[in-house]
Amino acid sequence: MSHWIKWTAPAAALVSVTSAAHAVQYLSVAQAQKLAFPSATGFVEVEAGRLWKAQAGGKAIGLFVFDRVIGKHLFIDYTVALGPGGQVHRVDILQYRESYGGEVRQASWLAQFVGKTGASPLEVDRDIRNISGATLSSHHVTEGVKKILGLYGHGAR
Amino acid sequence: MAPASLRRACPLLGTYVDISAAGSDHRDLVAAVDAALAVVEKIHRLMSFHDPASDVSRLNREAALGPVAVDPWTWRVLDAAVDLNRRLRGAFDITVAPMLQDLGLLPSGADRAGSACAPAPSDTIELMSDRRVHFRHAARIDLGGVAKGFAVDRAVAMLRMRNVTSGLVNAGGDLAAFGPHPQTIHLRDPRDPTRSIGAIDIRAEALASTGGRFDPFTSAAIAPPAVIDPQARAPARTICGVTVRAPTCLLADALTKVVMIEGEAAAPLLDQFAAAALMVRADGEIVVTPSWQAARAA
Repeated sequence: MSHWIKWTAPAAALVSVTSAAHAVQYLSVAQAQKLAFPSATGFVEVEAGRLWKAQAGGKAIGLFVFDRVIGKHLFIDYTVALGPGGQVHRVDILQYRESYGGEVRQASWLAQFVGKTGASPLEVDRDIRNISGATLSSHHVTEGVKKILGLYGHGAR
Repeated sequence: MAPASLRRACPLLGTYVDISAAGSDHRDLVAAVDAALAVVEKIHRLMSFHDPASDVSRLNREAALGPVAVDPWTWRVLDAAVDLNRRLRGAFDITVAPMLQDLGLLPSGADRAGSACAPAPSDTIELMSDRRVHFRHAARIDLGGVAKGFAVDRAVAMLRMRNVTSGLVNAGGDLAAFGPHPQTIHLRDPRDPTRSIGAIDIRAEALASTGGRFDPFTSAAIAPPAVIDPQARAPARTICGVTVRAPTCLLADALTKVVMIEGEAAAPLLDQFAAAALMVRADGEIVVTPSWQAARAA
């Protein structure tokens, strides 16, 4: 049983990832807020679409930041919840878009992302749920979290 | 109760850890996924090569000087790594860190010992009682080849313990599924990340892939694989990519490195671990071991 055999994938499987991009929507901003601060009674918007103060019974219990990393070929929406002391409480990926190849360098393709917010769902082809293959680096999100800590990590009060 | 499902992702282990889970109650599911992510976060903290406070960094600094106490999970991963090193005839080796540093794949800190750019002797890691670890020879370890798989396994165990009925944990392509229904996984073409070479259904087992590293931020091109042949002391190059399916993700993760290095000669080792593999050879041929799809034919 130790010989290798030539593998032919089912024809239907072969075409599936060759679309220009795919997107996975994990959570909405509101869902992420609720997960990060389950006890919060409200979120006061401090910067539109970007920064919220989580409150419980009139007291600030943390900050909630929405950010987006835009690289050459990849767009990721993520949120960072900061505890009252300014420490990272949790990080969540809200939407993950992965784009491929030369076609995404075209300005017209890129232009579709301009002005979008977390509230505007981007329909980018099919959603390929599970992929095993080359590892995707999360380096830029990690850098983004550091940046957010620098901006808002001084405490919620 | 209405069936509920949840999917979340967090940046951990240098990649995105993506957990989807289904169960009977949404609130329980949220708590279960939280607990599973906390497990991954803990493993990230313990086994990071980059974090100076991790068990791995402490071992690399101090274990050659005397025994170092580590977390039970770190001890377990080291135990598995030592066992695999023995059973895989040295084709799997966690002491290749200095070579990865030389190639720029791991950061070179001030702790570089300078000369020792070779895998350490196979008896280097001494696992002592009370979860203490001692290096008999100067060495630097990197658990990158197994920690991701271990994290996936522990996350799955946590979800199951919390009565999640089915789910999938994917740490950058090292993944494991559980539950009554098969789940379809697409396999990225290691030669071209825009393409899939096909899909495979898995149920209650793990899948791991090794091949080029793909960083869509900097380039749509593929970087050479970060697998080092401990014998040749150079990156493995004759194979473009490997996917292994195995009972656990730790095993699948470790075996991808072995197949990358040993190629077709790894088949008996795969059999020994009840694992199957798909390999994309440098000549473009895609080959599999006989049990690759037989397991799912039923």
